[in-house]
Amino acid sequence: MLNFIIRRLGIAIPTLLILVVFSFSLMHLAPGGPFTSERPLPPQVLANIEAKYGLDQPVYVQMGNYIWGIVTEFDFGPSFRFKDRTVNDVIAQGFPVTLTYGFWSFVVAVSVGVSLGAAAAIYHNSWLDYLAVGISIGAQVLPNFVMAPILVLTFTLWLGLLPGGGWNGGQWQYLVLPVIALSTSYMASIARITRSSMLEVLNSNFIRTAKAKGLSNKRIIVKHALKPTMLPVISYLGPAFVGMITGSVVIDMYFSTGGIGQMFVNSALSRDYSVMMGITILMGSLVIIFNMIVDILYAWIDPKIRL
Amino acid sequence: MKFSPILRTSALALGVASLALMGTSAYAAKVPAGTVLAEDQTFTYRDLDEFSSLDPQIIEDVSGSDIARDLFEGLLNQDADGNLVPGVAERWEASDDKMTYTFYLRDNAKWSNGDPVTAGDFVYAWRRAADPETASPYSWYMDLMSIENVADVLSGDKEPTALGVRAVDDLTLEVKLTTPLSYFPQMVTHTTTFPTHQATIEKYGDEWTKPENIVSNGAYTLAEHVPNERSVRVRNPLYWNDAETVIEKTTALIINDDDAALTRYLAGELDRTEIPAGQYPRLKEEYPDQAVSFPRLCSYYYTFNLSDSGPEAFKDVRVRQALSYAIDRSVITDNVLQGGQFPAFTFTPGATAGFEVPDVPFGQMTQAERDAKAVELLAEAGYGPDNPLKFDMIYNTSEGHKQIATVMSQMWKQKLGVEATLGNMEWKVFLETRSQQDFELARGAWCGDYNEASTFLDLVTTDSGYNDGKYSNSEIDALMEDAKTGGDATANYTKVEQIMADEMPIIPIYHYTRVMMMDPNLLGSWPVNNVEQNWYSRDLYRVAE
Repeated sequence: MLNFIIRRLGIAIPTLLILVVFSFSLMHLAPGGPFTSERPLPPQVLANIEAKYGLDQPVYVQMGNYIWGIVTEFDFGPSFRFKDRTVNDVIAQGFPVTLTYGFWSFVVAVSVGVSLGAAAAIYHNSWLDYLAVGISIGAQVLPNFVMAPILVLTFTLWLGLLPGGGWNGGQWQYLVLPVIALSTSYMASIARITRSSMLEVLNSNFIRTAKAKGLSNKRIIVKHALKPTMLPVISYLGPAFVGMITGSVVIDMYFSTGGIGQMFVNSALSRDYSVMMGITILMGSLVIIFNMIVDILYAWIDPKIRL
Repeated sequence: MKFSPILRTSALALGVASLALMGTSAYAAKVPAGTVLAEDQTFTYRDLDEFSSLDPQIIEDVSGSDIARDLFEGLLNQDADGNLVPGVAERWEASDDKMTYTFYLRDNAKWSNGDPVTAGDFVYAWRRAADPETASPYSWYMDLMSIENVADVLSGDKEPTALGVRAVDDLTLEVKLTTPLSYFPQMVTHTTTFPTHQATIEKYGDEWTKPENIVSNGAYTLAEHVPNERSVRVRNPLYWNDAETVIEKTTALIINDDDAALTRYLAGELDRTEIPAGQYPRLKEEYPDQAVSFPRLCSYYYTFNLSDSGPEAFKDVRVRQALSYAIDRSVITDNVLQGGQFPAFTFTPGATAGFEVPDVPFGQMTQAERDAKAVELLAEAGYGPDNPLKFDMIYNTSEGHKQIATVMSQMWKQKLGVEATLGNMEWKVFLETRSQQDFELARGAWCGDYNEASTFLDLVTTDSGYNDGKYSNSEIDALMEDAKTGGDATANYTKVEQIMADEMPIIPIYHYTRVMMMDPNLLGSWPVNNVEQNWYSRDLYRVAE
């Protein structure tokens, strides 16, 4: 097991480095720069600004300095757009927001999705099954950019129960709508995967054996069926979790939560090189780490993987 | 930069060393007698995007400027109609030759930490704005102000201390210019010229604008700033005119989505928001006391590439005229935009101070006459069914621009048989492409930096850095130069617009309006007549229901 983890870590670091080099080059290849504007700056002013941010140096020198700054001081540089903030400030402000609503969305998606899927499988072909399948298909076809306005119209404008956006330090009232909007389609996928996986498990031989031994239904499901059912679900959960905690542009845009998803898009549009790289590295690391965690979980559940 | 038409003309009319005396009673929230004020004096509005900075010398966006006008106060302010009123300066004098301006500061202006605001604070701020070390994206503004030695300071050839501004004593600021600018006082209402507190900046560096560090001299102080979410400013009890301030707290919320903002406005979370394109007529009918539309100093146009890399066809003035004539602008303003925008036949908007929209011939025709003329002109230029005119037109990615481009290309196709291919580009790519003359026909939009026609017409001069079509006409260059150095500006601007109507280097489409929803209890104090939309929270008040 330890070997397995070390091997995975050994791959992670070069992967991250390739990601940095690749994104850095691509970013500088894109036309326009952080100081391209509708009102082009006089050459002298532009030169002053570029010198201040080191943009007057060749790209490979900039890249070298950038990586060196990260490795030695964990310094991701100043934001090109927000003059009083560093990239570390930008991430420290936006990431906790995203992490909060992402985490709750994950909790909701998993708990509702797994229960719904399991119930549907256990009561296969009953009204409960049809209802669960209906809900999950409905939730799947409603993208969050449609969900979000509907939720706000209903809960904010008509019922007046919840605020239509903002964050306010993450008070629960401000969390409800973003969490529903973000978790719904994940919840639907989880429900469908759980249902089909459980159906397969429930029809397998070892469950029939357990039934033949006279074990109670509850015991069969909790003790024997749940663990193998979770295998395909877990492989979906890793990327889904990263997807949720690295933020959603739609959620940030629509609910003005101030999370990192939107900062990422904005930094790309405004060519805020340093913020864009900072978030790329953050998201890249998270994807790598969570894929690794999923692999480890997998290996723990299914010994065949460890071989 | 903000020019007041009225002061400018009166200063010109006097034509002598003008001693502008405005008395000490200053403008603030002028609540008419008998008005019952609401208990709750707060104002919450929506901003589209997070501002890039709150440092007056660095601010480059409208949302940041709006906040800075509350947090800081410059030498002079604007009133609800855009006229100059005293700020930190109570009055000013210009020398006979308009090359030296002296500002006399009030003795009761204070920083939020209790320090007095002195002429030295302005000297520090202005040097800082021009200093290459500061690397301000707005340092060009100091150049525009024509302060002595500014070009050498910007280029690093002279120390910032060489800048032609000095504190004669604590309450007297003297500025030396290199060209006689009669509208110089209007320029000091701009945020770049606001004073900043040296000790605070030296102590905290780039982080001095954070709420816990900032020291400011305006009617409000920064209480809270959550980037990308909200910023809150509250009344500053040390402000010299706090007694006449009414609004207690102003909150700016960042909401990127127009529709989300409108829903939140309707749910009562906001007091002001923009109306999404096309929704004005419906909202006006439903909420006649809340939906408003008023002119802005902005123009929407398409520019021909007239440089060597541009298509041969556009070098023929008849082609340019035909394309411009065939656009039925009223369809775009009345059916697409529907927000009270004005069809444009000139580049400069009619709302610009001191600018009379000239009766350019093609603006006087009916659309049917224009269409007939367009067909005729294009045929003369040698294009017709056998030899259709083809070109590419580009715009930056946006649903609104796409709609307008589609309507334009349809009009050309139906009326003239012209085949225009539409292309959209991401904003920065678009800017780069346009500035490198790598296009045939490109969208453009321009908002005045100050309320005077030259802020638009300078764009078509040969040397303008913003002239992406590379149009060049020596007569226009001469007229614009003459307007700056004492000629009859108004007559010159009219002449320039007439030349442009003949030569058609650009296709003017429409002049913008500001279309917004605003709480009717606050709307009464909103400066709808200030075309630059420079507003100050201290001038607003909320009346009781």
